[in-house]
Amino acid sequence: MKVSHMNTYKQGSMVLGALATALVVALGASPQTPAQQPPAAAEGADVGAKGLVDDDYGAETPATPGAAVTRAKGYSPYAGRKYPTRVFFGDTHHHTSNSGDGFAAGDRLDPEQAYRFARGEEVVSSTGVPAKLARPLDFLVISDHAEGLGLMTQVYEGNPAFASDPTLARWSQGMKAGGKEAATTQNEITKAQAMGTLPDPIKDPKIVGPIMKSVWQQYTATAEKYNEPGRFTAMIGYEWTSVPKGNNLHRNVLFRDGKDKADQVFPFSSWQSEDPEKLWAWMEGYEKKTGGKLLAIAHNANLSNGRMFELVDFGGKPLSKGYAERRARWETLQEIIQTKGNSETHPLLSPTDEFAGDLGIAGWEYGNLTLTDKPLSPEMMPTNYLRGGLLRGLEQEQKLGVNPFKFGLIGSTDVHNSLTAIDEDNFFGKLPIQEPSPDRWEHVSKEGFGKKRYTWHYMAAGYAAVWATENTREALWDAMKRKETYGTSGTRMTVRFFGGWDYVADDARTRYIADVGYGKGVPMGSDLTPAPAADREPTFLVAALKDPVGANLDRIQLVKGWVDASGKAQEKIYDITWSDNRKPDKDGKLPPVGDTVDVERATWTNTIGAPELVAVWKDPEFKPSERAFYYARVIEIPTPRWTAYDQVRFGVKMSPEVPMKHQERAWTSPIWYSPKS
Amino acid sequence: MLKSLLREPLVHFLLLGAALFVLDVRLRPAAAPAGTGEIVVSEARIRNLAQNFRRTWQRPPTREELEGLVEAHIREEVLYREAVALGLDRDDTIIRRRLQQKMEFISEEAVALAQPTDEELDAYLKANADKFRMEPNATFSQVYLDPRGRAATLETEVKRLLDTLNRAGPAPDLAKVGDRLLLLEPRYQDISQGELTRLFGTEFAEALVKQPVGKWMGPIPSGYGVHLVRVETLTPGGAPTLDQVRPLVEREWANARRQEFSKAFYDRLRAKYAIMVRMPEPAKP
Repeated sequence: MKVSHMNTYKQGSMVLGALATALVVALGASPQTPAQQPPAAAEGADVGAKGLVDDDYGAETPATPGAAVTRAKGYSPYAGRKYPTRVFFGDTHHHTSNSGDGFAAGDRLDPEQAYRFARGEEVVSSTGVPAKLARPLDFLVISDHAEGLGLMTQVYEGNPAFASDPTLARWSQGMKAGGKEAATTQNEITKAQAMGTLPDPIKDPKIVGPIMKSVWQQYTATAEKYNEPGRFTAMIGYEWTSVPKGNNLHRNVLFRDGKDKADQVFPFSSWQSEDPEKLWAWMEGYEKKTGGKLLAIAHNANLSNGRMFELVDFGGKPLSKGYAERRARWETLQEIIQTKGNSETHPLLSPTDEFAGDLGIAGWEYGNLTLTDKPLSPEMMPTNYLRGGLLRGLEQEQKLGVNPFKFGLIGSTDVHNSLTAIDEDNFFGKLPIQEPSPDRWEHVSKEGFGKKRYTWHYMAAGYAAVWATENTREALWDAMKRKETYGTSGTRMTVRFFGGWDYVADDARTRYIADVGYGKGVPMGSDLTPAPAADREPTFLVAALKDPVGANLDRIQLVKGWVDASGKAQEKIYDITWSDNRKPDKDGKLPPVGDTVDVERATWTNTIGAPELVAVWKDPEFKPSERAFYYARVIEIPTPRWTAYDQVRFGVKMSPEVPMKHQERAWTSPIWYSPKS
Repeated sequence: MLKSLLREPLVHFLLLGAALFVLDVRLRPAAAPAGTGEIVVSEARIRNLAQNFRRTWQRPPTREELEGLVEAHIREEVLYREAVALGLDRDDTIIRRRLQQKMEFISEEAVALAQPTDEELDAYLKANADKFRMEPNATFSQVYLDPRGRAATLETEVKRLLDTLNRAGPAPDLAKVGDRLLLLEPRYQDISQGELTRLFGTEFAEALVKQPVGKWMGPIPSGYGVHLVRVETLTPGGAPTLDQVRPLVEREWANARRQEFSKAFYDRLRAKYAIMVRMPEPAKP
C-alpha cells in the first residue's frame, strides 16, 4: 500500500475516495496525519484470497443449497445455533469508593458512578477530570474489598467509634489531605491489612457489622438498578483480600445471582480467615443456603512470592486429593493480566519464549504486593506465574489423580478509582493519584528492597473476554464457569480456539469457523475428548480477528505444557500462523513483524500485520501417554504505550527506561489432554 | 393537588426540617449561651444513649455504665457549648466539612423519597428524547475486500464484483466471494447500530444504516478494509414509548432529579447571603 492513495483521494475519485478513507482508518491514523510510508508494499495477506472472486463462483446463479457445510440447515445458517456467537468484553475486578484502600487514596466515585461510566456515560473523576469511554463495556463486576466494606468513609468522616483510635484518626487526616498524603495513607492501609495490624475498632464485628451490611445491600441494590439483561450486565461480586505478609492471594468472588440471594449473606473476608480453603467452605455454604452459585477468580500470582501455586496447603501440609478437588471446583479462573502486571510467566522460567518478558514484567518482579517479606527469588518463580501453575497442576494430577490448578484465563483491571479506563490513549490509572497529569509517570507507588515501583510500571490493562450465549448474569457466569474466556492486555480482538482430533487445513478456510469448531471438537477451557484411536494426534483450530479500531495482528502462537515420561514438566511455544508472508530462519525463528510506531507523535499504522489470522495446527510432538495443556496467544503489531501518549499530550520527557511501545496480546483458556487411565 | 405537593422535594425538605427540629427539641437540652444556661438531660436522650451502648455491646448498660454515659454526655455538651462560644467550630475544616456533608445528605434524602408519576416520566422521556432513542436496526449481507497490495486494481475489481452480485439474485453463496474475514459473518440479522459499531467500527456502522435497501452497495470502509453490503431490511431508530424503556427512564429521571434538587437546594440557601469575593491581584511575574 502506498501513500499515493492519498493523492488519488485528492483527485476526487469517489470509489477511491472512500477507499482512501478506509485505508486511513485501517492504518490507524487520523486523516490529518499522513500515513507513514512502509518500505515496501505489504503484499499477500495470509488469509486473503488471491483473486476477489473464486474461479468457480457461479455468477449468474444463486448458490446451490448444501454447497456449504451449513446450508443443510436451511436458508439462515445462524438459526438454531446453541453455541455462543459473540464475545463480551468487560471487567471482573473493579473498586469504587466502597473499597477502603481506594477511598483512602481519594476515590470518591460510588458504584452508581462506576456503572454509569462503564455503560458509556461521561463522569467526572475523583481528581476532577471529565472521563468517558470510547466504547462502552458489556459487563462490569464491581468487586470492592470485603474487608471493611464502606468503612473508610466512616473513618474519614470521623465516626466516634473510630476517631478515638490514634491510627484511624491519623488516616482520617491523611485521606482528607488528599494527593500524596492520601496515597501514603492508602499504602499504609494496604500494608496494615497485609501485616494484620489493622486497628482494633475497625475489626470489631459489633461496631462494623451493621455498617458493612448496609453498604453491601446498598451495593446490590445499585447493581439491580443498572443490570439490564441483553444490554449491560452488572454482576454482583466482591474481593476476598488475603495477603499474608504482603504475598498476594486475593480472590474475587462472583455471584450468578441477584440481590435476593446475595443479600442473604455478608461477604466472607480475610479478617475471618486468610486461608483459601475457608473461603471455599463459605462459598459452599452460600450455595447450600441460597441455592445460588459462586465462582472465584484469583489474581496477581505475580505478586504472591510463589504462594499462589505453592504445593502445600495454607497450613503447610502437602496437597491432598480433597484439596485439589475443592480448588479445581471453586477457583475457576485466574487473571493473567491487569494494571499490576502480567502473570503469565517470567524470562527465567521460560528462556525460549521471546514474549515472556516484554510486557508487564518489569518492576513487578521485584517482590510481592507490598514489596515486603522477601524479594522474589528464582526458587519462588515456578509457583509464582500462571504457566508454572498450569504445569504444577499437571504434576499434581499425576500424583493425586486430580488437577488442583485447572483454571481458565481472563484479564481485568483492578482499578481503584471506579473507572475501567484502560485504553492506552485513555488511561486513568489504577488509583486517583495516577489519573492523567504531567508528572504521574514518576510517582513512586511502592518501595522496598532498594527498588521502586513507579506509576509508569503500571499497565493500561486488561479486559475479560467471555464467549457467552447472551449478555446476562446467568449466561456470562456460566461461560466463566466453563472457562470459555480469554484475557487481553486491553485490546478487543476476537479469538476462537478449539481442540479436537479431526480438524483439517480446510477448516481454516471456512466461513463458519464456529460451526466447524464446535462441531468437531471443544472450545477453550475444556478437556479434549478421548483420542478416537491410539495413533491420532490432537488438532487445534485457532482464529483471531483484530480489534476493529485497533492494531493488526503479528502472529498466533500455541503454548504447550506437558509432563514427560520422566515426570518432568516441559513447555514449548509454537508460532502457528503469522502475517506478511514471513519465512522462519534456519533455527525456525520467525523474524519480527516490524514496527511502525512513531513515539514522538504516539501513532502507528496498520501497514504491517494482518486483520485476521486463522490456522489449523496438529501437535507434531504429541505422545498419548503424556498429559498436556495447550493455550493460544495472539500477538498484535507494536503500538504506542500509554506513556507515549502522555509524553505527547503533556509535553513531558520521561526517563529512558520507561517503555514507550509494546505488543498487546490475548491469551485463551487452555485445552487439556489427559491420557486414558 | 395534595398528591403532587407530596412529591415536591421542597416539601420533603421542609417536612424533614420540621422532623429534625422536633427531634432536636426532644433530644437536645434547650440551647443557651455558654456558661449561663442549664443542661437538661432528658429521658429521651438517656434512652438514646442506652440504645447506642446496646448496639455496640449487644447488652443494656448497667446502672453505673449508664451514669458514666450521662456524665460523658454532659461533659461533651459543656465543652461543645464553650467551644462554640469561643468560635472553635468555625476554623475547623473537619467540623465544617462534616456539617456541609450533613446538609448535603438532607437534600439527597429528600429526593430519595420522591416517586415519579407516569406523566413526569413521560415528560422526561420526551424532553430527553435523544438519550432514549432506539437505535436503527439492520439485516444485511457483506463481502469483505482486503485492500492491501491491490491498490491499483481495487476500483475495477469492486465495480466488477458489485455488478456480479447485483445480477446474482437475492441469496448468492457468499462463502466464496471476496477475501476471507472468517470471524465476521457474511450475513447479520436484526443488528443494532451499537452492535455494528462494536463489530465494524463507527464509520462503517454510520454508513451502513444510510444504504438503500435491496441492492449491493459499497465499498464501505471499516477497521478491517472495505466491504460491499446489501441491506435487506432497515428499521429506522425512533422514540420509544415509556413502557419500552421504563426502568431506564426511572433511573435517569432519579439521577437528574437528584442533581437538580441538590443544586436548587444549594442555590436557595446561597441566595440568603450577600456574597463578596475579593480576589487578590495576581502576582506580577
